Amino acid sequence: MSSALPPPPPPQWVVAMNSPLPRPTKAASSIPDPPGFSSSRGGKQRQQQQQQPTAKKAEDTDALKMKKAWEIAIAPSKSLPMNGIMMYMSGNSLQVFSIMMVFMLFKGPIQGLINTNAAFAKYETPSTRGRLVAVKLVYVLMQFLLLALGIWKVNAMGLLPTTRSDWLAWESERQPLERAYFAFR
Amino acid sequence: MRLQAALFIAACVSPAVAIYSDEVNHIDFHHALLGAPSPDSTFFLKPSSSSNASLLYTISDKSIVGAINPRDGTLIWRQDISRSGSASSAAGILRGLDGNNAVVGAAGDSISSWGAQDGKLIWENRFADGVVADLELLELEDARATSSARDTIALTGGESTGVVRRLDGDSGETKWEYKDNSGDVAFQVSSSPTEVFYISLQSAMLKGYKIKVTALDPVTGRQTHQQVLNSESDVASPESILFVGANTASPLIVWADKSHKSLKVNVIGTKQISTINIDNTSGQDIQQITVHAPHKLNSLPHFLVHYETESGAWAEVYHVDMKSSAVSKAYQLPYLQGQSAVATNNVDANVFFTRVTDSEAIVVSSASHGILGRWNVDASSTDRVLHAVAEVVTKGKTVAVRAAVLRKSGDWSLIRNGQTEWTRPEALIYAVAAAWVEDEDQEELAHELEVEGHEGLIGAYIHRVKRHLRDLQHLPEWLKELPKRIITSILTDEVSNLDSFGVAQSIIVATEKGRVYALDTGRQGAIKWGVQAEETSHWDIKSILSQPGSAVIYISDGSSVQINSSTGEVISRSAPTNNKLQSIATFEQQVGSSVIRMGSLGIQEDGTPVAPFDDITGFLVTTSNDGRVLGWVEKDNKHPVWEFVPPSGQKLIKAVSRPSHDPVASIGKVLGNRSVLYKYLNPNLVLVTAVDEKDHTAGFYLLDGVSGKVLYSTTQAGVDPTQPIASAISENWFAYSFFGDVVDESSSKGYQLVISELYESPLPNDRGPLDSAGNYSSLHSNIPLPHVVSQAYLIPEPISHMAVTQTRQGITIRQLICVLPSSNAIVGIPRHVLDPRRPVDRDPTSAEAEEGLFRYAPFLEFDGKWYLSHSRDVAGIKTVLSRPTLLESTSLIFAFGGDIFGTRATPSHAFDILGKSFSKLQLVLTVVALAAGVAFLAPMTRKKQVNMLWKAT
Repeated sequence: MSSALPPPPPPQWVVAMNSPLPRPTKAASSIPDPPGFSSSRGGKQRQQQQQQPTAKKAEDTDALKMKKAWEIAIAPSKSLPMNGIMMYMSGNSLQVFSIMMVFMLFKGPIQGLINTNAAFAKYETPSTRGRLVAVKLVYVLMQFLLLALGIWKVNAMGLLPTTRSDWLAWESERQPLERAYFAFR
Repeated sequence: MRLQAALFIAACVSPAVAIYSDEVNHIDFHHALLGAPSPDSTFFLKPSSSSNASLLYTISDKSIVGAINPRDGTLIWRQDISRSGSASSAAGILRGLDGNNAVVGAAGDSISSWGAQDGKLIWENRFADGVVADLELLELEDARATSSARDTIALTGGESTGVVRRLDGDSGETKWEYKDNSGDVAFQVSSSPTEVFYISLQSAMLKGYKIKVTALDPVTGRQTHQQVLNSESDVASPESILFVGANTASPLIVWADKSHKSLKVNVIGTKQISTINIDNTSGQDIQQITVHAPHKLNSLPHFLVHYETESGAWAEVYHVDMKSSAVSKAYQLPYLQGQSAVATNNVDANVFFTRVTDSEAIVVSSASHGILGRWNVDASSTDRVLHAVAEVVTKGKTVAVRAAVLRKSGDWSLIRNGQTEWTRPEALIYAVAAAWVEDEDQEELAHELEVEGHEGLIGAYIHRVKRHLRDLQHLPEWLKELPKRIITSILTDEVSNLDSFGVAQSIIVATEKGRVYALDTGRQGAIKWGVQAEETSHWDIKSILSQPGSAVIYISDGSSVQINSSTGEVISRSAPTNNKLQSIATFEQQVGSSVIRMGSLGIQEDGTPVAPFDDITGFLVTTSNDGRVLGWVEKDNKHPVWEFVPPSGQKLIKAVSRPSHDPVASIGKVLGNRSVLYKYLNPNLVLVTAVDEKDHTAGFYLLDGVSGKVLYSTTQAGVDPTQPIASAISENWFAYSFFGDVVDESSSKGYQLVISELYESPLPNDRGPLDSAGNYSSLHSNIPLPHVVSQAYLIPEPISHMAVTQTRQGITIRQLICVLPSSNAIVGIPRHVLDPRRPVDRDPTSAEAEEGLFRYAPFLEFDGKWYLSHSRDVAGIKTVLSRPTLLESTSLIFAFGGDIFGTRATPSHAFDILGKSFSKLQLVLTVVALAAGVAFLAPMTRKKQVNMLWKAT
């Protein structure tokens, strides 16, 4: 269709908004400010006043972010006692319920580990990056703690090949080098 | 891992299932046998005065009294009367009378009366003064008699005395007795309406016997008169007398001269001897003369004499004049080529003779020679008829006859109006050895697989592809059969359709009478073929070894007979050797789930092999007849490498080794805490049983068959050596049973079953001194001793024989099969019940419970579910064989020695078979119905969805 046509020029107000404020002319600067308005000192001060809070705010957000990040990192450990009690209560028998619980127990930490970066993406700024590494480490550690709980549970359920009987099938019968044959009535 | 263990334990804990009622006669079969019926003591009889139908009664040469339903040949009852009597070689005697509700039998020195209807014992009487020589039931009652039971006249003959007794019909008590101390041979008793005759043989001065007839008063037993017949020139032995008529209106004594030229007949009670010249027109020597006369007081005094020559037979009918006691010939049944048998019976006073020949069965009346009935007999067999009993019924002018015919092969069949109604293979009772038939086609496959095993990976692959391509030639046939197979598999249930899984096996059974049979376990033990492999009465079979297509029967004299296992033809025979054999050694090795035999070798009575075995490396363990266990090495049959002699005083009675097919699924036992007790597995184990008859002790010795070292020994005190001592060994355990008496306060009296398990070490997770070594030598290193755990149980009955179920891979738990001779049953005790690690005097801990152990109870009662023979009365079993099938769950069981019994044992349930309740038809119909429903509903739903789309916008 009209794809060949050049885009229409932006309207005047867009151009004006985008271009910086032209320096006031001499004449214009000589025009006294309206009463109650100080353009020079007050503006500067205000500018200063405005600039200081922004720097402070960035620091605050970072701290906030870090705080949040820490909270997230520690969060798995809060479910640790509950999970532990649940696992303890659910018994070591192989039932659908306990198998499902154990499955969930494994699914959570593994998903958490995979999504470690995603979980902290919100708090990742150039400034917090360095500090987040420690947070992430703690987070990963917590997830591993949960995993360890799961492994403990699985072991208690007897699903880990940790005992001799689990490897019995790979052990072979000891063969005699001599064979005896029998002739009995 | 734990799941497996849990499943395994679940399989163990659930009790072995008994047979379902609809599987009876389906997966199991039973030939309830009597043995060859005795010719004089087989008869048709109405069991009670009220019944119309008669039963067929007999006493067999095994002294078993039995009643057979003549309609279908099933056994109604039987009683073994040889057990109660002393060992007797003489044939038993059985007598019955119409209208009497009991039959009276005698074997050895005991007489017993059995209820004719149900076979229950009415009375039993034993006599110290000799064996029972003859028995008659008094047919006429004296006026004082009130009960319906008829009295018995019994004759017992000792060394010099003959005693005639009258025994009360109800109680068996002696009413009177007549003693004859003259030193005559007590021969028979007979009775007429008025007198009882005691016939004895008096030694003549020079040779032969005179027949002495003593008439006794039936009421008092006093001698009324006595006669001595001058028969010494003809009667050389008691066998020379052909016939002594019993219970007939005119009792007869018939004997012939030695040259079979003339027949002498005496009517008992008279002195007159009639001489009949035998008119032999056949031109052949007479082989046998038999006299047939009716056995009833009120019947006509007619009798038939049957003459048999080498190739034919004829018969003559004689009438006796009651007044003059003269004997006159009435008519003759013509000489016929081939076999012939005559039976007699009477309807009221009329006497009928039934003659069964090769081609026909005829019935004639004794009065005239007119043939009343004639039927063609479908007896195509070349089997000679030995004797026959018949029952004739008349209806107006027509007659019907049924005759029970015993053939030389031991088949007892009933011919009704020329048709063979049933056949009972009575000769199977003499079975002494049996072997499973090896299939030929399986062998081929095994060979191919072996070839593959020896090639490299690629070569084996190419070989297999080639084999599969070759198998494609069977594809059209297979496709042709496919619809039939599908239909039959849907219509019939799974249990009946397992023949392709090796549950339909043939088994070759050889009897001591020289006959060999093949039974099909897939068709209720039906006889596939039976051949007379040897004309003998005592065939001392040592072993039957079957190989693909044939079976070789080894006899103690060193000869052997090779028989085609599918047709029964004798392929070859080998001549006897000078060495008398005691057993046959088989060199068998288990390869995978099959057993390969590399050779066999005869073992002489003193335990030495007849030849050195050069081509097989290994050791041979034999027993000698002087009670030693000997070990031999290859290439030397002169000097044993070791010998085991039981301690002085003890006599070796039995040695058993592990079965040649004894796969071990797991080399250890998983405990509740998931540690492992390692099993002591040694294929060379020998369990030796020796008893000391003086001290009443029994020693059980576990030997290593290579080095002869005693690995374990135990001695039981208070053992009764006369009671059966059975033992079995398998995997890592052995069991034995005996009768133990009280020797001290802590011991108990009763039949005991001891189970012992062998472990490599008492500690879990420990493989003993050899640890993880892959192999070991019994010679070069010191073989470690097993750790033995034992437990003993009191059992309610003796066990005469033990065997162990065998399955293909040994995953299924084993059953200890025990033959119970006192209750005529076979019981399969699950192994987990006999676990020597069961906790004693406490409840099991949770770990032990997880393992399947439960509290030890000293008394082991046989659970009804363990009885493999369920309600059947399986008598006389001597040996039980087991064979794996292609189904891991199923083991074939075959028992023989008396009865023949076969079944399928599933010790851990039939876990790889769909049960009868599973309906394939229902499944198919469900799938079809679902498919139809989907096909019907799919367009509807699609339409609805499309409409929904339109409506939404």
